[in-house]
Amino acid sequence: MSSNFEAYEQDFGTLTAEITNKIGRIPKLGGEEKTQLVLNVDKQLEEVRELMEQMDLEVRELPIQSRGMYQSRLKSYKGEMEKLEKDFKRSRIAYSDEVRNELLGEDAGSSESQRAHLLDNTEKLERSSRRLEAGYQIAVETEQVGQEILANLHTDREKIQRSRDRLRETDANLGKSSRILTGMLRRIIQNRVLVFVLGAIILITIILAIYFNVRGR
Amino acid sequence: MDNSGKEKEAIQLMADADKKVKTSGSFLGGMFGGPHKVEEACEMYCRAANMFKMAKNWNAAGNAFCQAARIHMQLQNKHDSATSFIDAGNAFKKADPNEAIKCLNAAVDIYTDMGRFTIAAKHHITIAEIYESELVDIEKAIAHYEQAADYYKGEESNSSANKCLLKVGAYAAQLEQYAKAIEIYEQVGSSTMDNPLLKYSAKEYFFKASLCHFIVDELNAKLAVEKYEEMFPAFSDSRECKLLKKLLDAHEEQNCEAFTEAIKEFDSISRLDQWQTTMLLRIKKTIQGDEGDLK
Repeated sequence: MSSNFEAYEQDFGTLTAEITNKIGRIPKLGGEEKTQLVLNVDKQLEEVRELMEQMDLEVRELPIQSRGMYQSRLKSYKGEMEKLEKDFKRSRIAYSDEVRNELLGEDAGSSESQRAHLLDNTEKLERSSRRLEAGYQIAVETEQVGQEILANLHTDREKIQRSRDRLRETDANLGKSSRILTGMLRRIIQNRVLVFVLGAIILITIILAIYFNVRGR
Repeated sequence: MDNSGKEKEAIQLMADADKKVKTSGSFLGGMFGGPHKVEEACEMYCRAANMFKMAKNWNAAGNAFCQAARIHMQLQNKHDSATSFIDAGNAFKKADPNEAIKCLNAAVDIYTDMGRFTIAAKHHITIAEIYESELVDIEKAIAHYEQAADYYKGEESNSSANKCLLKVGAYAAQLEQYAKAIEIYEQVGSSTMDNPLLKYSAKEYFFKASLCHFIVDELNAKLAVEKYEEMFPAFSDSRECKLLKKLLDAHEEQNCEAFTEAIKEFDSISRLDQWQTTMLLRIKKTIQGDEGDLK
């Protein structure tokens, strides 16, 4: 009785191994081969299910003492079978790397793509460092231009200060000259008044002289 | 613009003015209408000169202005005389540099006589520029720049004085008068480093001073760089200082390639100007000269 069970176990083992193998291959294939393989796996799963049923019957016929061990084994096998079925279902709709590679046109070696990636990155780095350097150059130039401007500003500042001082001087001088001119004007007026007064006196003297002369006769 | 017509008019005016001056020379003329005549003549000279300028006959214009200036001197109008001399100088600048310099010198004398040192300094600079560009007489140019710097110092215009001194320094170094150049650059550097407006230029002056030290003697340069760093901490951060240190090291090891490497690196960021390249080349030659001796 138990030998039957063991035979069943062995069969189960081989079948599950095959099924796992085929399930692994299914996503990579496509079209005709895929459908064939799928049918194949389907058949094998059917066989596995039948095996399970038979194992079940066997276990029931066993005496109650040794049933426990076999039952636990049976349970684990059942679990395995369910997992296989799930895997199978998933594999039929799974995407595989092969399909992706076909779509994106890369070849099987991923090292090539990595190399291209790295070269790309290096180029980007170089470009950025070149730009940084150009920026630094511009900053230095700006600093130099700034220096010149500051020096010019300083010179202009001194010029403006000097002009302002000179203006103040000129202003003071103008004030002085204006005062002098008013003084001159005053003196001119004085002189003129004096001249008139003197002229008047002389005139009067002459008139008096003539008058006395005429009176004296 | 009928320029040739203007020229003829101008020549006519000159002739008239000449006649006026001559007639006023005689005794009677001097008595009766002398001063007026001379002033009129002066004015006519000025107008003639302006017309020559329009016709681009610079020589004639300069001559006319000179005549006007002399008459002003006669009339004791110092200001006007000096102005006319300056106009003459400007006109001659385009034609005959020597005459220009003569007129400008006369003007400068008048100004210094009157005590107007600032303007005199400005015209010294103009004269020095003419020597620099047209007559290429560096010695005289240096002399005039120095004179201008002294006048500016006297008038407390330190910025303008520094500008002139820098030119003196640059030419002195070119003519291998390194001690003078070093002194000038150090002086300018120390006076600018306190001024908040000018302190960003100070490091350049120290750099130039160190270069001159370097040409004379390497040890001097080392001491100098240390001294400047002490005086002016910001100097040690500058790229120029770093370059100097690299150059000193390369010179010590007599390593020509390292020297050139360092210079190329500095040049890639900010170009070295003509003066600096000349100095660095001289320093490089001393390295190569030493190498030759060692061999």
